[in-house]
Amino acid sequence: MGEVIVVTSGKGGVGKTTTTANVGTGLAMLEKKVVLIDTDIGLRNLDVVMGLENRIVYNLVDVIEGNCRIRNALIKDKRYPNLYLLPSAQTRDKNSVTPEQMRKLADELREEFDYILMDCPAGIEQGFRNAIAGADKALVVTTPEVSAVRDADRIIGLLEANEMQETYLVVNRLRMDMVKRGDMMSSEDVTEILAIDLIGVVPDDESIVISTNQGEPLVGSDSLAGRAYMNIARRLAGDEVPFLDLNERNSFFSKLFGKNRRY
Amino acid sequence: MKSVNNSVIIKGNNYGIIVVLSPDISFEELKEQVTEKFRESSKFFKKAKMAISFEGRTLSNDEQREILNIIESNTDMQIVCIIEDDPKKEELFKKTLEQKLMELENNTGQFYKGILRSGASLEFDNSVVIIGDVNNGARVVSKGNIIVLGSLKGTAYAGASGNTNSFVVALDMRPTQIRIADTIARSPDKPLKDEVKEAKIAFLEDGNIYIEPLNKSVINDIRL
Repeated sequence: MGEVIVVTSGKGGVGKTTTTANVGTGLAMLEKKVVLIDTDIGLRNLDVVMGLENRIVYNLVDVIEGNCRIRNALIKDKRYPNLYLLPSAQTRDKNSVTPEQMRKLADELREEFDYILMDCPAGIEQGFRNAIAGADKALVVTTPEVSAVRDADRIIGLLEANEMQETYLVVNRLRMDMVKRGDMMSSEDVTEILAIDLIGVVPDDESIVISTNQGEPLVGSDSLAGRAYMNIARRLAGDEVPFLDLNERNSFFSKLFGKNRRY
Repeated sequence: MKSVNNSVIIKGNNYGIIVVLSPDISFEELKEQVTEKFRESSKFFKKAKMAISFEGRTLSNDEQREILNIIESNTDMQIVCIIEDDPKKEELFKKTLEQKLMELENNTGQFYKGILRSGASLEFDNSVVIIGDVNNGARVVSKGNIIVLGSLKGTAYAGASGNTNSFVVALDMRPTQIRIADTIARSPDKPLKDEVKEAKIAFLEDGNIYIEPLNKSVINDIRL
């Protein structure tokens, strides 16, 4: 029986879609059967970040409305045959599906997949309610900025009110240089405010911008961000993985001396 | 021909009657008029259970009793209670009641365990002890006192029904806003860095809200 995990944040632009794509791909690299669902109806992005937009024939709304079977709408990933994407509709809006329908869909997919990742839209309205409907766990993504943390706190409150059993924190786009200067919150500061278990810290990394533009998730690569995402996938799968030392720089010398072999 | 005497006028609805009495005639004459009026209208009232109120003339308790006796012996009505419309008495009752209730609210309290997250708002009639944090964007309102065994980073409103003796205590006092009774205070725009983390109390004095460390002398000054 599969696990349904919703990736949410409240604030927009903090890295939900990027996290869904990379963690999902990471789980697939660990030989799990994974499906990613873009629940942001009307503003779909997950297909772009996965590089699968030209393969879309049917979408989530088609499936819910019964225009096609789930199998017809699922798109197999370019690189991993055990990874699938259920894209969202771009021409509808978030009132096109109800939480009850999402719950039914999640239950159906549980039979076939090990992990079902729901990419949640920003906000706390219908889109959010749809995305959390069938979920067992939640990943709350935030950046170490006051406004993002404020919104994350709100979201965590709503998740608790909706009796979400397990909620984990992902601190994204951390810049250690700014933290050292005292210009940015550390991941400890964020965790202290939000008071939920930390499942991953992803450093700010230029290669993410490149990877999302090109539609190739960088999880598993040697970049710090790539390794951080892989660690999140491994922790979700049950491994106990120590947190990366983000003070490390991706310098030529560290590659030479094998420092980046540490997980 | 009998002239219509308006020394006694009866007004009423389904639940009560107002007996308007003229102040000009003697009480004996008044009793006669009351007897006649009610005898005439007894069929109208039948066996009604009514409240009664007197207007137009101040009656002593004895006089009221006499009138009630007349009504009850001349009709089948049952007078359940007299409604008194004395604004001074009402004001006195109101003040005393509110004061007693306020004291109760201050002296009794309840506990709440958990983190109040952004967007959450809790309201309490009594004083409250919050075992947890009040995050920025969250709100606690109490008619009594508020004690936060954790960080207070949101908004706390104590003495919400006007009690100026109410106070707010927090182990980590960094509120966005504090209100006590009718006074609001906000946190400074530039927060003081590296403050010692100690329990602090916010209270109202001379129309200003003061926040001070919770030491023995301040505790002594607390009034419940």
